[in-house]
Amino acid sequence: MMPPEPYRQRSREEAFGPPLGTQWWGLSPRYRWHRRISALAVAVLVGPVGALVVSRSAGGVGVLLWSVVVLLGLAVAWVAAEQEYRAWGFLERADDLVITSGVFGRRIVVVPYGRMQFVDVTSGPLEQVLGLATVRLHTAAATTDARVPGLPTAVADQLRDRLARRGDEGQGL
Amino acid sequence: MTPYLAMPPRPAWPTAGARRLHWATAPLRALNIFVVYLVLLGLWLLVVPAQDGTLTIPIVRVILFIAVSVPVAVVAAGVGVWHWWALRYWIEGDDLVVDAGIVRSRIRRIPLSRMQGVDVVRPLVGRALGLSEVHLELAGGSSAQITLRYLGEHEARALRAELLALAAGLPPHTPEAPERPIGRVSLGVLFASLMLRVPVLAAIAAFFGLVAFGIVFKELAVLAVAVPLLLGLLRGVIAPLVLYTEFSVAVAPDGIRLRYGLFETRSQTVPPGRIQAVRVVEPLMWRSFGWARVEVTVAGYSGDRQALSSTLVPVAPTFAAFDLVSEVFPGVSVQKVALTDSLSGRAAAGVSRDVFVTRRGLACRTWDVVALARAQSVRMTASPWQRLTGRATVHVDVPPGPVHVAAVDRGVVEARELTDDAVTRAALARTGAARTERWAR
Repeated sequence: MMPPEPYRQRSREEAFGPPLGTQWWGLSPRYRWHRRISALAVAVLVGPVGALVVSRSAGGVGVLLWSVVVLLGLAVAWVAAEQEYRAWGFLERADDLVITSGVFGRRIVVVPYGRMQFVDVTSGPLEQVLGLATVRLHTAAATTDARVPGLPTAVADQLRDRLARRGDEGQGL
Repeated sequence: MTPYLAMPPRPAWPTAGARRLHWATAPLRALNIFVVYLVLLGLWLLVVPAQDGTLTIPIVRVILFIAVSVPVAVVAAGVGVWHWWALRYWIEGDDLVVDAGIVRSRIRRIPLSRMQGVDVVRPLVGRALGLSEVHLELAGGSSAQITLRYLGEHEARALRAELLALAAGLPPHTPEAPERPIGRVSLGVLFASLMLRVPVLAAIAAFFGLVAFGIVFKELAVLAVAVPLLLGLLRGVIAPLVLYTEFSVAVAPDGIRLRYGLFETRSQTVPPGRIQAVRVVEPLMWRSFGWARVEVTVAGYSGDRQALSSTLVPVAPTFAAFDLVSEVFPGVSVQKVALTDSLSGRAAAGVSRDVFVTRRGLACRTWDVVALARAQSVRMTASPWQRLTGRATVHVDVPPGPVHVAAVDRGVVEARELTDDAVTRAALARTGAARTERWAR
């Protein structure tokens, strides 16, 4: 085991960084495609319906503006998918799981294994096609919201098993 | 984790030590059913409205009424007796077992280590007849409440003492733990505290303003606003006044005991270690009197029970409120925890060996305290706006309830240090903390 690092003040850029002397574990690179395809699906659904509504009231110009807005939104989502993928990170420590996420607003959650009530692994239709899964930790607090999306299915299952095993050693509430 | 309510195989028939509710339960239930029948059907069978609006009782109707009512009364009595006869409860090992087998055996097995609290409630009817209800609060879900209605008064108290003793891991016939009274709230102070709130005073002013307007301009339409306002006031002032009359707090080894109520007296026991977080609220107008209110989050309570059980003291001197927090979290003195101000200066937060404390609000000052040993998770968040201004918020998550612990608007670097500090101390506190089950062992 590595000796603990000597104390040093973090810089502002490091404030949401990993615990000192460690590095985040990332998601599967396929997670980017999950985000992009989701954005595309929303655009394909919302685009024509919105266009229909807009054409009734605002005519051809409205439809044009609407298409620009939808395409712009899609472009932003497309680019942000990369940032979002990089922003996600998690780390299993001796006592707790640390998760970070968020591009515009940022967050870090630290969940002690002893406080986990249960862990579940879910995989939506698109996630299944891409071979991805989401691991979610539940505690007695509804506000915890600790999840790690975009893990390869096998990795997700292993993570769940490790977490469940560590949770058993704890005492619940 | 074992499921709360398992369905075990049916036990061998007469179970040793099985007890029944008080016999008066049967006639009361029968009476209840009969009254419902009377209101819904019976009275309308008897009485015929005449053309001119008066009510008459023709003799044919009386015969019809008797012909219908007698069988209904017999059925009601039968149902009452059957319910009373079928419901049995007993203590088996560490579980309370309730068999409510009306038609077929329906057994609930309640592991006492899951018990969050025991209330003995004396409803108005029960007080006249010397009857009580025993409510068991369990962790998890809204259905996780067991009500035994009715028991004799002594029986109810004995059952509570027995359940608490068993949950604490003591032998079942341990005498009820002696208690140390902490304080009581006089009716005058309670009433004054309920009135001296900005929304209440504003509503009263608005009510009289509306009534004056209505009288001056002879306008009845103001009633459309004034009446709901009055109802709201009744709900906001009279309801808590009746609910919390004669409020007294005592501390015993088996938990904090609360007694209150005018019509329905409630005696509540919250075992130690079940309180997850505490909030001390000092509303603007109370501060000149030095008053505060204490609310708690108890895991597993939800909905109505959360609202009813979240008040530890409706009003108390501020120093007494903080003393009570020290009773809830032994060895903790909230006011001694060093707090540092947030960047905005409107809030403050600090962490000690055992607790995480935040203070918020300039007008209505709110202190949120969570025992680090019970923190569910620690979160640090920054909204886009906070990121632009270099700030972040540190949350210590607790189960759903009135208390939300959040250190708002810290400098982002300091916030991370606070987060790491809280996480480290929470880990230490957890290893040092005694298990909350079997607290007496």
